[in-house]
Amino acid sequence: MTTASIRPRAWPALSGALASTIGFWLLAALAGAAVLAAFLLVSNEYFFFAGYVVLQYVVLATAWNILGGYTGYVNFGVGAFFASGAYSTVVLSKLSQLPLPVMILCAGVVSGVIGLGMGYLTLRLRGVFFAIATLALAIVLQTLIVNWDYVGGSRGVYVIRPEQAPLLGSYVQYLFLLMLILAVAAVAIARTIERSRLGLGFAAIRDDEPAAEAGGVPTLRLKLIATVLSGALMGMAGAPLPYYVTYLDPDSSFSLAYAVNSVAMPLIGGTTSWAGPIIGAVLLGTVQQLATVTISSALNLMIVGLLLIAFVIIAPNGIVGLVTAWRRRRSG
Amino acid sequence: MAKPLLEARGLGKRFGGFVALDGIDLAIAGGERIGLIGPNGSGKSTLVNCLSGILRHDSGTVSFDGRPIDGLPAYRRTRLGLARSFQLPKPFRTLTLLDNLRVPLLYAVNARPGRRLPEGEIAERALAILGEVGLADKARRLPRDLTQVEMRKLELARAVATEPRLLFADETMAGLSPAEVEEILEVLFRLNEAGITIVLIEHIMRAVMRFSTRLVVLLAGQKIADGMPQETIRNPAVERAYLGE
Repeated sequence: MTTASIRPRAWPALSGALASTIGFWLLAALAGAAVLAAFLLVSNEYFFFAGYVVLQYVVLATAWNILGGYTGYVNFGVGAFFASGAYSTVVLSKLSQLPLPVMILCAGVVSGVIGLGMGYLTLRLRGVFFAIATLALAIVLQTLIVNWDYVGGSRGVYVIRPEQAPLLGSYVQYLFLLMLILAVAAVAIARTIERSRLGLGFAAIRDDEPAAEAGGVPTLRLKLIATVLSGALMGMAGAPLPYYVTYLDPDSSFSLAYAVNSVAMPLIGGTTSWAGPIIGAVLLGTVQQLATVTISSALNLMIVGLLLIAFVIIAPNGIVGLVTAWRRRRSG
Repeated sequence: MAKPLLEARGLGKRFGGFVALDGIDLAIAGGERIGLIGPNGSGKSTLVNCLSGILRHDSGTVSFDGRPIDGLPAYRRTRLGLARSFQLPKPFRTLTLLDNLRVPLLYAVNARPGRRLPEGEIAERALAILGEVGLADKARRLPRDLTQVEMRKLELARAVATEPRLLFADETMAGLSPAEVEEILEVLFRLNEAGITIVLIEHIMRAVMRFSTRLVVLLAGQKIADGMPQETIRNPAVERAYLGE
């Protein structure tokens, strides 16, 4: 009796939006746990290896979409953020014995600061000029790393995995778990933004920047927030990389493939919703992993290219866009 | 005249070698209905862009409500109560009409000290403003579903949603039929009665003459006349500007 009379009063206090956000976080955590359970059941080490890459792309695509999809600023410098996360782990592992989750957070700070710097320098540029500037950032950073002997320079650097994994059986499984947590967190952050005042401001900037400014939106500040968040998440996605590959070199960590994939995945999945980058990353990431094993690793980028062309022509709003259009037709 | 709401002194703007605005002095008092006219390229839109902060002026000073606003970004001016609509409607095309109005309500109105509308009230106000311009039944639609006149009303509604004290309506009526012009005029009259000072930038003279209590005329970046509408259009300099020698 008492609980029944308390509950109806307690629930309305939780506003609808807040309740749905909490609900989503719980659901996301459950989905994460389910993925982990499924992988543990299969218990084939290779699946953890491949799954790690797919999850890493969920984080990268979601992070790219916060700036590219929500505010409309195309960032081709994904490699720069990703690699600065990876190299920040290299530096930390040489200097300290910090646990990997702490290093991931540090990498987030480092690449977030790089995002802030890039934002200040380039966000006054529009459209294709911004994209070119981000590409330039990647080249500048790569040149710095190539000439920095402490982290191996152009020779690259070996990173030795700890003997034992802190939580699960093998270290790869542990890395998979960390990336899974990052992916869940990234998606939950993206969805929270999408539903918030911040997300509305981002959308206004994407649609028309002078009109947004005239509507009271502090466009520069919001764009900086987007760059910092997006950059930080990309860096965090790169932070465990040295332990995953155990040998890190500038050419592969700054690879343009990261940028191409991170742009293609949200575009294929759909850029206006948090679900788009997940769909794109899982779809494209899985196809790429399959192609690597069955056909050849060189085929990856061609698959991306072909899919991208097909989607830009047939479904410019991605898979999410196709579904919404179909639903609208059915209801209207 | 009482202390002006907006005052520009010696406002100048150049684009390379082209002088777009040349020492404009303008004082606008609270409650006025001003018509801003001039031939194409005379600097009307540049003036609005400089006053609303979309462009930076090169020389002179602007103050709003007695406080200098030179160098203040556009969003800060909007929050102070200086709104503008755009000559070419600039709707947020991926957002519903309701969300188009939630942007200024959340970012301009709610950013003012002491104002904090809860989410429910924001939606209510957005609907009410859409209702004022006759778009309430399209609140959940996207801008691409609107007609030309509806698009202009949305543009106006979005400026009104910032709860301005001064509104620049930049060619809100260009390309509309006489009946549609009448509709927009009615909206503007209502807004003015509600206490909003309005500057109407317009080419349709019939509308300008009916609406304005004061007429300001620009020619080649200079203010050539400023006064009562009927007297101003008979000013020889204004006649020359429009009809030639």
